[in-house]
Amino acid sequence: MHQQSAKLLQQTIQHIGLTFISLLIAVLIGLPLGIYISRNKKAAGFVLGFAGVLQTIPSIALLGFLIPLLGIGPLPAITALFLYALLPVIRNTYTGIIGVDPGVKEAALAMGMTATQRLFKVDLVLAFPVIMAGIRTATVINVGVGTLAAYIAAGGLGEFIFGGIALNNTNMILAGAIPAALLAILLDLLLSLVQHTGSRKRRVMIGVLPLLLLVFSSFYVLPFGRTRLLAGFTPEFMGRRDGDIGLREVYGLNIHTVVISDAVMYKAIYNHKLDVISGYSTDGRLKAYDLLVLDDDRRIFPPYYAAPVIRTEVLQRYPELAPVLNKLSGRINDSVMTLLNYRAEYLNQPPEQIAREFLVSQGLYQGPRGGRKGVIRLGSKIFPEQYILTDMYAMLISGFTDLEVESKTGLGGTKICFEALIHQQIDMYPEYTGTALLAILQPPAVLSARLAGNRDSVYRYVADRFQSDYHLTWLEPIGFNNAYALMMRRSQAQQLKIRTISDLTKYLKNDK
Amino acid sequence: MIVVNTITKTFGAYKAVDAISFTVKKGETVVFLGTSGSGKTTLLKMINRLIEPDSGEILISGRRITDQRPEDLRRKIGYVFQNNGLFPHYTIEENIGVVPRLLGWPADRITKRVTELMEKLRLSPAQYRGAYPNELSGGQQQRVGIARALAADAHVLLMDEPFGALDPITRASVRKDFKQLDELGSKTIVLVTHDIQEAFELADRIILMDGGRIMQEGTTDDLFLRPANQYVKDFFEGQRYIYDHFKNKQS
Repeated sequence: MHQQSAKLLQQTIQHIGLTFISLLIAVLIGLPLGIYISRNKKAAGFVLGFAGVLQTIPSIALLGFLIPLLGIGPLPAITALFLYALLPVIRNTYTGIIGVDPGVKEAALAMGMTATQRLFKVDLVLAFPVIMAGIRTATVINVGVGTLAAYIAAGGLGEFIFGGIALNNTNMILAGAIPAALLAILLDLLLSLVQHTGSRKRRVMIGVLPLLLLVFSSFYVLPFGRTRLLAGFTPEFMGRRDGDIGLREVYGLNIHTVVISDAVMYKAIYNHKLDVISGYSTDGRLKAYDLLVLDDDRRIFPPYYAAPVIRTEVLQRYPELAPVLNKLSGRINDSVMTLLNYRAEYLNQPPEQIAREFLVSQGLYQGPRGGRKGVIRLGSKIFPEQYILTDMYAMLISGFTDLEVESKTGLGGTKICFEALIHQQIDMYPEYTGTALLAILQPPAVLSARLAGNRDSVYRYVADRFQSDYHLTWLEPIGFNNAYALMMRRSQAQQLKIRTISDLTKYLKNDK
Repeated sequence: MIVVNTITKTFGAYKAVDAISFTVKKGETVVFLGTSGSGKTTLLKMINRLIEPDSGEILISGRRITDQRPEDLRRKIGYVFQNNGLFPHYTIEENIGVVPRLLGWPADRITKRVTELMEKLRLSPAQYRGAYPNELSGGQQQRVGIARALAADAHVLLMDEPFGALDPITRASVRKDFKQLDELGSKTIVLVTHDIQEAFELADRIILMDGGRIMQEGTTDDLFLRPANQYVKDFFEGQRYIYDHFKNKQS
């Protein structure tokens, strides 16, 4: 608890820093630009249009564009936030100056002010409330979009939010979302006080504002560079016992860690921005980026063996089904599954083609019999590995039995698939033992710790409980283990002679 | 002395000022009288280069106004706006002192000058020095506008419908106090108005304009009693009451 509150404070401070650094840059560039276009109306349309287009790019997409250019970490995050803050600052500076009473502007000239004197003594001072309104808008936008910084290892309150979403942990989501909302409200309030200072104090405020921006900006302590190796873990992994917590407690692993989304994590380790990541052991990107899975020699990651889960009632009605489905058992090990995923994710081959070619190579493919005996409804979660497996089962069923197949693929996550199954919306889907244990059954920590690490005991426990509690049957495991894994670039791991997580822990200890 | 030599200004196809020439002698008050769109305000703004003429030239004290930087020229010319043109974010003291400050006067001299002018224009310095324009009535704001134009002791004063935005009672009172200012004695003043009574009361000489041209110039009697053409005659038709009232006051 204490550790979490320290983390919350750190993330809040990071978040404020992130917001204000980008805001500061946006003001430094947007204000002069706004002044410029208030005098060159021809340029105004172009500049405002361009900044407007930037504003319409979805924030995730913008980060996606920036990663190839700027990598991960604070630089792309600040750049993205800066781009979002730019439009409100430019537009309000422009509108503010244009909106100053023309009579007052003319009077300033008639009194003998130069253009520069008029700008600083009259235009900017009178436009100040409008410009401040723009800065307020930009601030609120930045606090919101800033949560996405957690996706690219730039820290901030998004770490809790995305960790909470991934773990289905409402408290964790709120631990990030409430401070973020409060921050937006508080900063907005603070800046509205600055905005609405009367004429008497306004000139003081104009001096105070840059100071305020600078002070807040300095909050951002770059989250980089302590140990020599840098780890990037997903928000979900950060919050799990069979994740970062277990690594620290069981292995005593002490590595500097940033939080990052799995969408950019593999690319980042490939580009040497990270050295260790938390991935999935059959991910196609393992092959694409030549990564090495570190051996979990103390068994903190429970096995995630895949097997078809099917309604017992359906098995009883069609006894011929079980032997057919079990044909796949033992045929696909980790490296085979990785290769199949690689073909789907990187070579963009359709899952149906991958499934058929694999079955053909195994001598398991028969054309559909076109039977009409009954319908088996297949479900799958929404990622390639599940699509491939489901297609294989569909081909096996229609080729070896007189049953028809109906596929309901892409059912989102574990929760949706499982609910669909127990409510008889589907008849079967491929599930993983570890997921069933930790996400569905959720046994007490002591029990899961005892089970963890042993492939057979987890499978037996899960199969027994599913049968007794839900009338669902676990068929034989397919063979591969899509578990959490720590991975490194193969070249670096070999160079440092690291093969297991214990090796990594030892290397980091000696390195200090 | 102001010498204006055949200046012309067109806005697109519209000729606002059409080859006009005139002279204002040192210490003289010349009133440009005319309807809206007669070109009188354009004319006034060309004297301090708020508007640059297309052709022709203007000399003040024998020096071409284009021979100096516009801001230097303007600091030597007082200017009063119809809608006061005060800086809403400046106090009354700062508004009146704006030109002296641009000229780099020492602070105590500015304070002294501001106090003096506020007293002359019946604005209690103690009460209004630190106030902002929006805390004053329309008449008071116009008094501040006049004080601001006089603050740097400019020899030339340009006034664009200076009392035009005020209600009749306030207008009479501000105008009365303005006329009594001792500061005006030595000043060369060009004033623009559409108010005949104002022209009669303030002018040494009236120049009646229409369509960017001068219709007639001369004294009140010249224009009213000896109109040069039909336009001038029509302009003053039915205004005898004002003329008589003015004459009565004079005698």
